[in-house]
Amino acid sequence: MDQLKGFKLEPKQLRMYGIIGSVVGIYLTVGLNAMTGTKVFSFIGCIAALFAVLWGANSIRRICSYGLGTGVPAMGMLCTGMACVAAVFGLNIAGRFGFDWGGPIITLVYAMVFGYVVGTLCNKVMKFNIPIMEEGLMDGSGACTMAVLAWSVSLSGSLSYNEIIATVYNTGFLAVIFILGGMALFHPFNANLGPDEKQDRTLIDGMMVGGLAMFGLGICSIVTIGFAPAMLTIVVGFALWYYFFVWYFRLAKRDAAAVVGTGLLPPSAL
Amino acid sequence: MDAFGMGICAAAGALAFVAGASEDIDSDIGSQSNPNSQVQLAAQVGNPHRIYNKAIAGEPPSNALWCAVACLMAYVLIEGYHMPLLFAAVAGASLAALFDGVMSISAYLGRSASQARFNQWIYLDIIRYTTPSIMAHVWITSFCITLIAIIQVYVLTPHHPFPIPVIGLIWGITVGAIGSSVGDIHYGGEREFQWRLFGQGLNTMLSGQIVRKAEAGLRNSIDNAWFCAKFGGPCTGLGFGLTVFLDNWRTTVFDPVTQATYAIAMGCFFVLAMNLYNLYMEISARKKYGPYPGYKGDIAA
Repeated sequence: MDQLKGFKLEPKQLRMYGIIGSVVGIYLTVGLNAMTGTKVFSFIGCIAALFAVLWGANSIRRICSYGLGTGVPAMGMLCTGMACVAAVFGLNIAGRFGFDWGGPIITLVYAMVFGYVVGTLCNKVMKFNIPIMEEGLMDGSGACTMAVLAWSVSLSGSLSYNEIIATVYNTGFLAVIFILGGMALFHPFNANLGPDEKQDRTLIDGMMVGGLAMFGLGICSIVTIGFAPAMLTIVVGFALWYYFFVWYFRLAKRDAAAVVGTGLLPPSAL
Repeated sequence: MDAFGMGICAAAGALAFVAGASEDIDSDIGSQSNPNSQVQLAAQVGNPHRIYNKAIAGEPPSNALWCAVACLMAYVLIEGYHMPLLFAAVAGASLAALFDGVMSISAYLGRSASQARFNQWIYLDIIRYTTPSIMAHVWITSFCITLIAIIQVYVLTPHHPFPIPVIGLIWGITVGAIGSSVGDIHYGGEREFQWRLFGQGLNTMLSGQIVRKAEAGLRNSIDNAWFCAKFGGPCTGLGFGLTVFLDNWRTTVFDPVTQATYAIAMGCFFVLAMNLYNLYMEISARKKYGPYPGYKGDIAA
């Protein structure tokens, strides 16, 4: 059996990583692009999204551990839906005040408040009675919004509301961000559901899907930011996907009862 | 009504038929969606198995992903490089199949590893020979859906105002929803519990007691595809194909602007006729097969 060391992260730690990683990443993308006058650094946006995915996947994992088996995808879709609204809202408000640079902060604050309100409605009005619903949905909504924003920035290369509308919304790539983003958030817990689910394996699965999303969005960005910067996103995305896939496979091997090339059922079951 | 419009309408219906059928068989090979809960439960009630456990959301979101990814590739090739439409659809479907392969493998590994305490092993040969079959079916589904989206946006006039990734997403959700509600019963209700009597329903006591041994050897997911391709898959195809064809047909025969009343009346007629036919089917099945022999009246819940 592969003696692979895992990791354990607290929700507060992950929230910090998610917020700092995604916000810094988005500003780094836009800043470097603006400084060099190119779109070459757009791939950093997708890496920023990975931090948000890590944060979001853990929040979905926490909420859904309360027995929401079939509700896992629904929770992810709910967060992505809130994210798409929040991202447009934040950027639009920032654009109206002529303060494009404040977009991510306004978006983040709005999304987290939005998530908290929806969580309160679920618990108080719909009587879900899940103790961490408010906190979980606040995290989920915030994380997903930052992921959607980071992917949008990586597709457009800038933070301008008009440019993001033209490159992400009008081209229909929002559909891809919506569904791939949702998958990156809920697939990890959904795919690892079971009594022996482990946090590190789930989160690495999320990073793997995040890498896959980066690869897909790299293909999208061929028509929005040009061939060369898009190829950078595709290559980095593929490398990240491969790295995390191998890691995930090793974690699955570590946790499984047995990994066999072929064979009959376990002797206890025959 | 013109011949071209009717031809396109028939082509869309035929593509939808194929997409529906392959979508259902893809989900059956992977034991996705509704029947998945039984495959998941099986190990937990002491029945480890050699059946694929492809838990990628329900069918609607996962098919929305494949179709949106296929359409994004097609969109990039058509808008960015002016490639031929058919080639763009082929390239898109190939990318979607690759995405599906990655997600399927991760779901099988994850779900099996999370049941370690129930002694559910991970069999690598299952990944090797089942994943390509799933990917092949996803290729067919996303190819057909991408072609429908391309027809709507680039061939039909007036062109559909939405870009094809959005249309792909919507069609993906639709085909997944129809596959989930039509074809899954054939796999989940019949194949997984083929030894129970007709009309028995699925008792809670039976949860997880799925068929794990085949006519010869152990049952695998390819056996399930062989079974489901006979009835469940074509039924799903018929369901999705008729939905697309009949809806397009009434707006092709009757002009939606000047003859809107006829088009709406025809729609109402279809709904009524299908409901009556369903009623007839149910009554005739109950008459032919009779009540379940062990039926002792309704039990208060």
